[in-house]
Amino acid sequence: MKTTDIKSRTRTTLGLVGASLAVLIASACGGGGGGGLPGQAGASAPAQTDSGGAITVWVDPPRVPAAEAFKKANPDIETTINQIDGTVGSKALSQQFAQFNQAKQGWPDAIFFPSNDDIAWASGAQINYAADLTSQVPDLIKGYDPAVLAPCNIDGKIRCLRNDAAPDVFWYNQKFFSANGYTPPKTWEEYGTLAVKIAAEHPGKVSAFLGDAYAPDRYLWASGCPTNQRLSETSVMINLDDAKCQRAKKLVGEMVTGKAASNLGIFDADAAKAGKDLVMSPGALWWGDYLFNQTWKIDAGTMTATTPLTWQGESQPSTGNEGGGLWGVSSHITGKQLENTLKFATFVVSDPRWQVELSTGLPAYGPVQDDWIAKQKASKYFADNDATFAAFKQAATYVPGDHAYTLYNTGGIWTETVAKDLVAGKSFDEAWTTFGSELNNQAKSQGYEVKTTP
Amino acid sequence: MTVASSARTDSATAADAAVAGPSRRPSRRTSRRVEAVGAWTLCAPYVVLLLIAGIVPIGYAFATALQTPPTPLNPAVGFGGLKSFETVVTDFRFLRTFGNIASVLVIWLPIMMIGIVGLALLVHASPGRFGNVMRFVYYLPGALAGVANFVLWVYLLNPSSSPIRAFWSALGLTDIKSVVVSGNNLSFILAAMLFFQGVGTWIVIVNGGLNGIDEAVLEAAEIDGAGPWRVAWDVKLPIIRPWIGYAALMNLAYGFQLFLEPQLLDQVASNALPDQYSPSQLGYAFAFSNYNFPAAAAMSLILLAITLGIGLIIVFKSGLFSEETH
Repeated sequence: MKTTDIKSRTRTTLGLVGASLAVLIASACGGGGGGGLPGQAGASAPAQTDSGGAITVWVDPPRVPAAEAFKKANPDIETTINQIDGTVGSKALSQQFAQFNQAKQGWPDAIFFPSNDDIAWASGAQINYAADLTSQVPDLIKGYDPAVLAPCNIDGKIRCLRNDAAPDVFWYNQKFFSANGYTPPKTWEEYGTLAVKIAAEHPGKVSAFLGDAYAPDRYLWASGCPTNQRLSETSVMINLDDAKCQRAKKLVGEMVTGKAASNLGIFDADAAKAGKDLVMSPGALWWGDYLFNQTWKIDAGTMTATTPLTWQGESQPSTGNEGGGLWGVSSHITGKQLENTLKFATFVVSDPRWQVELSTGLPAYGPVQDDWIAKQKASKYFADNDATFAAFKQAATYVPGDHAYTLYNTGGIWTETVAKDLVAGKSFDEAWTTFGSELNNQAKSQGYEVKTTP
Repeated sequence: MTVASSARTDSATAADAAVAGPSRRPSRRTSRRVEAVGAWTLCAPYVVLLLIAGIVPIGYAFATALQTPPTPLNPAVGFGGLKSFETVVTDFRFLRTFGNIASVLVIWLPIMMIGIVGLALLVHASPGRFGNVMRFVYYLPGALAGVANFVLWVYLLNPSSSPIRAFWSALGLTDIKSVVVSGNNLSFILAAMLFFQGVGTWIVIVNGGLNGIDEAVLEAAEIDGAGPWRVAWDVKLPIIRPWIGYAALMNLAYGFQLFLEPQLLDQVASNALPDQYSPSQLGYAFAFSNYNFPAAAAMSLILLAITLGIGLIIVFKSGLFSEETH
């Protein structure tokens, strides 16, 4: 009798559990667009909120002064500033936004994206955070050179605002070059040869940094190597066997073999020490004030920028682009909250109190560029001020335009493969192979169809 | 039984019958009902927690795993059958993450188990103040839990600030990135972090099992001529086998769910480590990098099946719950 009771109760319990699971499964099978999965466009979109004016902005450490300047200039707008991890190539931010979409709350009203790649997910159909600003701030948009604002122009809509123009120029240590009788290179090939020569004659001197997420922009983008060529929303071209990739690979490989390159990244904690041994490198124009002057404390009158390098057989220079930073505005707000957020966005991209007085990079917003250059020139930090600022103004025109920001983060993949393998003592060839296969795999895992031709 | 006691029993029975009614059956039922209420009262909080934190999430994960993920071209969600499981097991990172975790477990688990059992036996064989002090000393690293433990390790691993910088220098490692990514260092670093974080707590637990051994058993072994080693090997170890099994089970499950340590080490190594080093990180990446929640749910169910399977094997092989059958 007891046994029967137990069996009966067990059957009842199992039946209840089974029924619960069946209900859950049935709810899963019932899909069709009305489900509640996070981040999905098919889910009901949350209503736009209006706090009545208070705004929350997220900024990386170098952009904290921008937000503070806005707060000081607009004491009537209640502004909360949250400092976020500024690591370029980190995936932490996109992961947080996926959680906000799941919770249908928590988004900041405005944000500075630490990686330009972030705009890919922020404007993508799944996260859809970045508001379309085309008709929100038309006058502001007119102030940009379209080439500089290109990263924000997604399918004809302006989904972000660029903070600073960040094309690479060619930096070199003029004091070192003069003292040792070296002449700055004009071509990428001359740069590679000279780097190896200097490393042999002055062991420990550095001509390249390869360990940060901007390194592929510095060398592969500069060469026009198709790592991020967007063909459509769901297909990209990646082809590391392309001649433009192979010439960049040869250049970097020679510098690695010749011990002319540092495995550290420019943002590594130990980079400041190696930075003092830097003799030359392609690098963004913000390297000048932010990296050399403020971070690495290289003496004034040492470094100078010159026009980007030209690949042999080509008629004009070609250079990459390192960040420059993008500001985004939330698509989840309306009313006074949106109005104040747009005031914030307008301030941080165009107001001289940030862009001229405090910013370390050439403003992306055209009308304040000359004021910034005049102020920087007055500090007389560079060895050849005129050449440096002339290079700054020209460089943006030499950036190959067929490079898009995508859901797979090329810089992050570079740090996980090339930077890691070089630090671990593997050859550059081996690291390159790993980089190529990971790039393809990550792109496919994000849902892209990968093609090797346009 | 005496006549007096028999008479007393009879009168007591009569009194009970008078109080309880015409028969004893309702009294037994009341007693059983009280027992059942007590049992359910004891179990209820656990059952509620099990439902909230166990059964319902598993059911939700199962339901989610059967859906199709939204994509930029097809944002609609529908029934996808077992497609998510296929997505997970054919993903290029799937086997790699298990390989990574296996490389840590192979180093860590044997050292952990030998450390736990060996140190617990030593503590138990050192009665008095010395044994108590040593038990406390072994426990100390485990008291630094989570992030505090991690910060301590970052300090140790960074050659520019580490008290063991001479060791790193001898290996030719000058910065934290090279310490973390060189050779197979990461497996050893993770194994060391897990060992110091957990060994103290488990020594206390296994020591509790050793304290439960009847002194008469140990004295008998000594009278029969067994020395300390023989007592430890032939008497203590077999008796605490379920405790060892329990320690192995919990540590294995913990190891499989490794997440925090590789995630944070990646950040201090300037993102030079893969974001999907462990299976848990891969599940996280499916959800928050690929925005594929069905695949994330499938990954978590696969992990559940693996750890549950291993757990059952250990439970049955170690006789973990054998006491309950006696």
